[in-house]
Amino acid sequence: MNRLVKDNILKGITYVASALSVIVLAAILWYLVSNGLSLISGDLITGDYYATTENAAISPDYSYTEMETQEYSGKGYYSKKWGIALEDITTAHNDEEISVVYVDPNSPFTHMNSLVAGEDGMELSLSSGSAVQNIYYEDQNGETVFLSRVQMKDAENTIKTLEEAEGIVSINYESIGGGIRGSIFATLYLILISLLISLPIGIASAIYLHEYATKNKINSLIRQGIDTLTGVPSIVYGLMGVTVLFPVTQLVGATSTSILLGGLTLAIMLLPTIIRSTEEALIVVPKSLRDGSLSLGATKSQTIFKVVLPCAVNGILTGVLLGIGRVIGESAALVYTTSTVISDNPSILSQGTSLSLMIWSIMSGEQPNYELASAISLIILVIVFAINIIVKIIGKRLAKSFV
Amino acid sequence: METCFDVKNIDLFYGEKQALKNVNMEIYKNCVTAFIGPSGCGKSTFIRCLNRMNDLIEGCKVEGEIIKDGLDIYSPKQDIVDLRTRVGMVFQKPNPFPMSIYDNIAYGPRCQGLKDKKKLDEIVMTSLKQVALYDEVHDRLGESAIGLSGGQQQRLCIARCIAMSPEVILMDEPTSALDPISTSKIEDLCLELKKDYTIVIVTHNMQQAARISDYTAFFLMGEVVEMDKTDTIFSHPSDKRTENYITGRFG
Repeated sequence: MNRLVKDNILKGITYVASALSVIVLAAILWYLVSNGLSLISGDLITGDYYATTENAAISPDYSYTEMETQEYSGKGYYSKKWGIALEDITTAHNDEEISVVYVDPNSPFTHMNSLVAGEDGMELSLSSGSAVQNIYYEDQNGETVFLSRVQMKDAENTIKTLEEAEGIVSINYESIGGGIRGSIFATLYLILISLLISLPIGIASAIYLHEYATKNKINSLIRQGIDTLTGVPSIVYGLMGVTVLFPVTQLVGATSTSILLGGLTLAIMLLPTIIRSTEEALIVVPKSLRDGSLSLGATKSQTIFKVVLPCAVNGILTGVLLGIGRVIGESAALVYTTSTVISDNPSILSQGTSLSLMIWSIMSGEQPNYELASAISLIILVIVFAINIIVKIIGKRLAKSFV
Repeated sequence: METCFDVKNIDLFYGEKQALKNVNMEIYKNCVTAFIGPSGCGKSTFIRCLNRMNDLIEGCKVEGEIIKDGLDIYSPKQDIVDLRTRVGMVFQKPNPFPMSIYDNIAYGPRCQGLKDKKKLDEIVMTSLKQVALYDEVHDRLGESAIGLSGGQQQRLCIARCIAMSPEVILMDEPTSALDPISTSKIEDLCLELKKDYTIVIVTHNMQQAARISDYTAFFLMGEVVEMDKTDTIFSHPSDKRTENYITGRFG
């Protein structure tokens, strides 16, 4: 009886513990979804982070009488007179904005010239998604009136004011920022660079350690060293990167910290992981296969590349997966090496932030933006999930082509 | 009869432990030579000396000479990879590579740099025919070798070995993991193959040695107690220990 009670208590503890972990994970996911899901859209993923401002006047060639605007029955408040529909939105930056949802092809807002100095009256057309900042219009007396963002109040009021106007002079609008395209690209660059460097080196090191190295003091020291490196905090790798690797990136033309520097740093950070998982995979390959190959007059390197490595491919892919996960999740090592400046069009030699570092940048400002951070977190989760599946499919394919 | 291996005073050590003591014997061409003896007597260790597979074991040291074609295979002049192409080996447990049947057999020739598809096709076909596996698998050469039965896998391993057209085939208890039918197929195969190859076989099964071998060596505690024609060993052994072993008094 006593033993039975003990047994049930222990069983109960495992139940409670697993239930607790599931609840915690679900709560985190729920928080991310409830905060971030509403922000996620195609614009968020493909858009720029920084808003761009345009100031444009209606083209003198535009004739109000010749152009006829159509009716519109979509969302937002529509002014048939000017062929423009507006609605109230909250941006990823957490700002209340009046956004353009529809512009009629014959609207005066599609025939504008830039007023920005240096753009030489470039032809502009208001597109949906832009946020209206202020408008100059003509009233019944033919006088030009300034309608500021504060006077506009909301979309409904703006449309009402415009309906009473006699003509439009110019408009100031900006694209809505908060997009994460740049950071997505930067993250992909980081994954590519770090894997391209760490995979061959790591696999080769693992092969040396497991297939060639004899048991002696130097080799056991190397092994110890690799195991220790696995536990080194990533910020230390970051410091090492900016001090030791920066001159290396200067050789290929980097003038500041760059994504290349971050990638190199991450590559070094991944080495222990890749070496370890490859070695584990090599250990599992049966000795009888090596013997079989060698007894057929294959050389050691032929044995390794034709028999051993193909058998170990799944284990190696596990290492790749762990590596990608680490690159996506890394922020501390990148603070010094890629910088925390969000870039909309990152290149390998320019600064930029990975998605997780972007969360840090957003949250460390004066007004932490929980919504955008949650949305990015969700996207990171989706990317990790997708990469997981892709790597598994590749693993299966490779195993199949080998068999 | 031509000598294939002339073994002179072989001593083998695993670290401190001596596993073979002063082994001397001649192995003749186009004969089946069987090694019998109780477990741990050194017969497998010795057969692995003949193509230097013991080199792979850490701490293994060999002293003495094994002369093949006028050259000591343990001399520094010997190219080990070349030696293994001439002295092939079949292991106790079938160890086909996790590749297709075709790729398994083509593996050895490909490692030697043979790329000609026609020649490879021919080698694969003749090798499979020689081990009487062709009829069973000819329609699924592209399928994984892992899907074959144990006996088929072992014959595939022999075919893989034959594909290298070696002079000698070493077999280390090739039937110990197989059922009686597969075993008898492999035994028949040995008798068939000795026309073209020299075969050295380690076996636990004395009837097997009696059935297929021309010469038999009896190993005990790392020494060769007796080596003679198989008929002589099994009918008039000159050593009391051999007699005790083959009559089943120990072992």
